[in-house]
Amino acid sequence: MASAFDALPAQLVLQGIVASALAIALLIAFIVLRRWYRGRYFQRLNRSTLEVRRQWSDIVSGAVPPQNWRASPFTSSIVESILLDSIEVAPPQELQQLLHCLRASGLLDERIHQARHCKGWNRRVALVALGRTRAPEAVPALAEALSDAASDPETRMAAIRGLGRSALPEAAIPIIEGLLSGELAGFPDFPIKNALASCCRSQAKLLATYLPSSSGPARELLARVLGELASPELGDELLVLATDPLPEVRASAARALAHADPDLAFPTLSVLANDPEWFVRLRAVVAVGFLEDKRKIRVLLRAVCDLNRHVRRRAATVLAKMEPNLQEILAKIVATEDRYALQAFISELDRSGRFEAVVKALESQADRRFAAPILLHSLERGKASLETPAQSAPQKVAP
Amino acid sequence: MSALIQFLTALLFLYYLASNVIYLFLLVTAIHQSRSHQQRLGSIRLENLSQSSFTPPISLVVPAHNEAGSIVQSLNSLLTLDYPSLEIILVNDGSTDDSLERMAQAYELVPAHLLYVAEIPTARVKRLYRSLRQPRLLVVDKDSAGNKADAVNAGLNVCSSPFVCVVDADSLLERDSLTRIVSGIFSDPGCAVAAGGIVRILNGCSLADGRLQDVRLPRRPVEVLQVIEYLRAFLVGREAWAFFNMLPIISGAFGIFRRDLVLRIGGFRAQAIGEDIDLVVRLHRYLREQGTDYRISFVPDPTCWTEVPSDLKSLARQRARWQQGLLDTLWRNRDMLFRRPYGRIGLLLLPYLWLFELLEPVMELAGYLTITAAALMGSLSLTLAFQFLLFGYAFATALSVGGVLLEEITYRRYGNWRDVLRLLVFCFLEHFPYRQLNLLWRLQGMWRYLRRDTSWGELKKAGMVKSPTAASAESPPSQPAATTARG
Repeated sequence: MASAFDALPAQLVLQGIVASALAIALLIAFIVLRRWYRGRYFQRLNRSTLEVRRQWSDIVSGAVPPQNWRASPFTSSIVESILLDSIEVAPPQELQQLLHCLRASGLLDERIHQARHCKGWNRRVALVALGRTRAPEAVPALAEALSDAASDPETRMAAIRGLGRSALPEAAIPIIEGLLSGELAGFPDFPIKNALASCCRSQAKLLATYLPSSSGPARELLARVLGELASPELGDELLVLATDPLPEVRASAARALAHADPDLAFPTLSVLANDPEWFVRLRAVVAVGFLEDKRKIRVLLRAVCDLNRHVRRRAATVLAKMEPNLQEILAKIVATEDRYALQAFISELDRSGRFEAVVKALESQADRRFAAPILLHSLERGKASLETPAQSAPQKVAP
Repeated sequence: MSALIQFLTALLFLYYLASNVIYLFLLVTAIHQSRSHQQRLGSIRLENLSQSSFTPPISLVVPAHNEAGSIVQSLNSLLTLDYPSLEIILVNDGSTDDSLERMAQAYELVPAHLLYVAEIPTARVKRLYRSLRQPRLLVVDKDSAGNKADAVNAGLNVCSSPFVCVVDADSLLERDSLTRIVSGIFSDPGCAVAAGGIVRILNGCSLADGRLQDVRLPRRPVEVLQVIEYLRAFLVGREAWAFFNMLPIISGAFGIFRRDLVLRIGGFRAQAIGEDIDLVVRLHRYLREQGTDYRISFVPDPTCWTEVPSDLKSLARQRARWQQGLLDTLWRNRDMLFRRPYGRIGLLLLPYLWLFELLEPVMELAGYLTITAAALMGSLSLTLAFQFLLFGYAFATALSVGGVLLEEITYRRYGNWRDVLRLLVFCFLEHFPYRQLNLLWRLQGMWRYLRRDTSWGELKKAGMVKSPTAASAESPPSQPAATTARG
């Protein structure tokens, strides 16, 4: 009778055994040797780092000539690493000295060369290191890498990160131009926004100058960053954005208007608080909360009755913080006869720890100006409705 | 009969060859991916992310059932996480011990009169509590529905952030794990809707104040074998599948999701046996049906440490349960198989899960039976059979060593030489009898599913909040579904 295994290619099985055994041996050898090598490497690194740190002030001042440590790539990489770490936290007066050391030693030129001529991982490392130098002369090399359509997306992402790390306003320009030309389409928003925010922190107006010529997702992204960095001097630009057809842009304008002059911002935010898009209304309500303007109560009272529960909740959060007017606000919310608005307000009073204070104030009120008994009753009834959480979603809740 | 055995042998050999080729392919892909991820990490500064105003707020949902022994320590640990905008929602899922009292004492809990909107129906929510000490903490006290999914759904109803991270109460997140997972999601050009981090094994490690102090390999062999399995499953399997955007599961112990999407698909399915794999497959289904461009990612550096069963009985229950969960999910989604709208999920992932994950124990058993039958009939070439078994053993060992290699070239959490050598030794030992036991447990799981038996039983773990000297003490009974850190 033929063997059941006759169907199997015996030679193949034998070869498989040999290959697997060889693979196991190689893998284990690699693991063990790598561990051993790394152990030694880090010992050496620690010793050398300690030595460099001992001479640090002389290295930075140039008292130890760069050629002394540049000759050894190992020591050179330690010095560069310490320099870059120091630059990231250095105050302006120290920064110049550190940059001078980078330039005089040729480390900066070397990184620029690598950023322009290396490939793959080496280029990416050079780009991020170049950004960390915060040297203006690094920007062109980073910009070249960003616009290099032939390089892979990871390299271009490294260029974006490098530009962001430089925190220089001029480093924002290649990113913005990349966005406007569509070269950065398909790249993740998050690192781009962070890079732009880092570069434009001191010059938010730079973003505003590019906004008129932008459209679509690039416009949304620029507006979003502007919304984070806005300052009072941006008022007029923000008013234009508040009427933008893109809801994301209007939401960003609302966010930014929180930092604008209240007289200028309030009318616009009142309009945005009625926007058809819930997230625009939400942003407007939050921004209104930042303004020192008595008229905001009216806007917030309307918002606390909003169909969207996020908007209601944010409006209630703002209202619950308006300390001297809480009873008046409560009276107005009760008058709306909107039980979801009342619940939202009570929730936020409770969350902010002011609920008991309001109850006490109403109980002790002598003149009953705000119809205290009615308000107290409403509060207690509203509170009671929140004692037992609703087990099904109410009809009014919008997405 | 002889012809039948010949046919079965050829079929099983082909199956075996195909599965090994796939595993090898996954290993190579994972090595490539891990290296890329490591390189990318070098250019990211986590501090910048945690200070960025663009970093989205996250709600951490922590379901807990009878976790009185460790709940305060777990919460202490979660409250020290480095993340700029975080709310922690602990769902006390019908605990019959004094979990709630302990939390109330530790965090000065007071009833919160907050609006609770049950967007996903759950068992009755009794009360919400807020902490006077920790404004970020909210406790939901609810009746138990007997499953973790219901507790998570109650947490989903309460949370207010666009992203929700589900963490087991008996697990431990590393301080920067949320920043890392968010960085992983948002550095991805694809539209990430969910992501899972790596789950590692806590047994054997030492803790102080709810923080990991020393990462060590567990002492018991059954725990070490699970370490190898987890390394292979997470660093090889998930890394590779995620690369092709076909991640089948995000561990129930640590995963982050877009809240609106989870709500849109009705939250976690309370009847699901493996609620984690069920949710991810339903997300794939929904997003494919909508024609949305999406990505479900795996980020290998954010780490969640979790305890694994330390005795065979508990491990058997867990593995049977996982197999039941897999079968349940695949059966419920069988209409996705080979259907064009589901793209690579229906054409590649699900067939793979059916053939090489679900049916693997059946095929392996068939292999053993075929060899036995051939031997009984005298048609077995002992030399060739031995060679074949030796090849299987060597190849599987090589894959396990590959998993350890991945750990070594990337995250190197086991710094001790002795631990690494032990890991390598156990790579050689896992094929007998552990593998055969696993086979039996998984078959048992399938059998139980066919009998509609979905009971859980109690899992015994070493106990999270122990110093190494006290690690052998028993922990209080934990919520069964809280251990679904699928390997």
